[in-house]
Amino acid sequence: MNRLTVAFAHAVVVTAFCAVPSFAQDDAALKKDLTAVIALHGLPCGQVVAVKVQAENDYAVSCQDGNRYHVYMNAAGRVVVEKP
Amino acid sequence: MMGTARSIVVALLLLLTTGCARDKPETPVSEPKVVATRPVAPRAPARPAAPAAPKVAGRGAAPVARAPVARTPAAAPSLDLKALTQRLRETKAIGIFTKITLKNQVDDLLDGFREYYQGQAKLAITDLRRSFDLLMMKVLSLLQDDDRMLASAIVSSREAIWGVLTDPKKFASLDV
Repeated sequence: MNRLTVAFAHAVVVTAFCAVPSFAQDDAALKKDLTAVIALHGLPCGQVVAVKVQAENDYAVSCQDGNRYHVYMNAAGRVVVEKP
Repeated sequence: MMGTARSIVVALLLLLTTGCARDKPETPVSEPKVVATRPVAPRAPARPAAPAAPKVAGRGAAPVARAPVARTPAAAPSLDLKALTQRLRETKAIGIFTKITLKNQVDDLLDGFREYYQGQAKLAITDLRRSFDLLMMKVLSLLQDDDRMLASAIVSSREAIWGVLTDPKKFASLDV
């Protein structure tokens, strides 16, 4: 096995191990953010457990308590939370 | 083959030691460091020690029990509205969507005050105070775990902000 292959294997391993926690962190941060948004609107949720990105600044959110919301930013720049 | 395995092990070790450069919490938790207070038995001096400047926890010096300095977060100085807005924009304790939502709610409150001063008030000043308090609670509950300093600054600034909002001249001069 030549040096190039070894170096490539290094890069793959390092990338894989760093990228997974990073994605998980981003996902957790988004869930936390959306949980706070829903709470700020005074709507029941508990905690956001699943997020589906529909478009930029547009999310379909599932909550721990079974509620589902559509969270998005409207043209006026307001964050809207509504039942789908 | 062995070389590759060794390389992977080295990479893993590197990874574990660096921790993938994870973010640290924005505000370090200010826990008082425990200073070792067990006195070290002074060694018998070989020759009489010349009077020297008092050493701080130096070896051979008379053991002085130093009380650990209590580093409780001091009351943060109150901030003006501009500084507060800037700090809120910069904090990583609140997500971007949450910040926009909060801004929406601050704007709603300011609209309430505008209507109040224009005589088209739907809300009385007591209602505005309730909205203000509720908004403050929301902000504080979002900040208190991850950005205690800012939360503390907001608490300190709370009445000053209310003072600005309830003074028609100061409110009119607000650049919001």
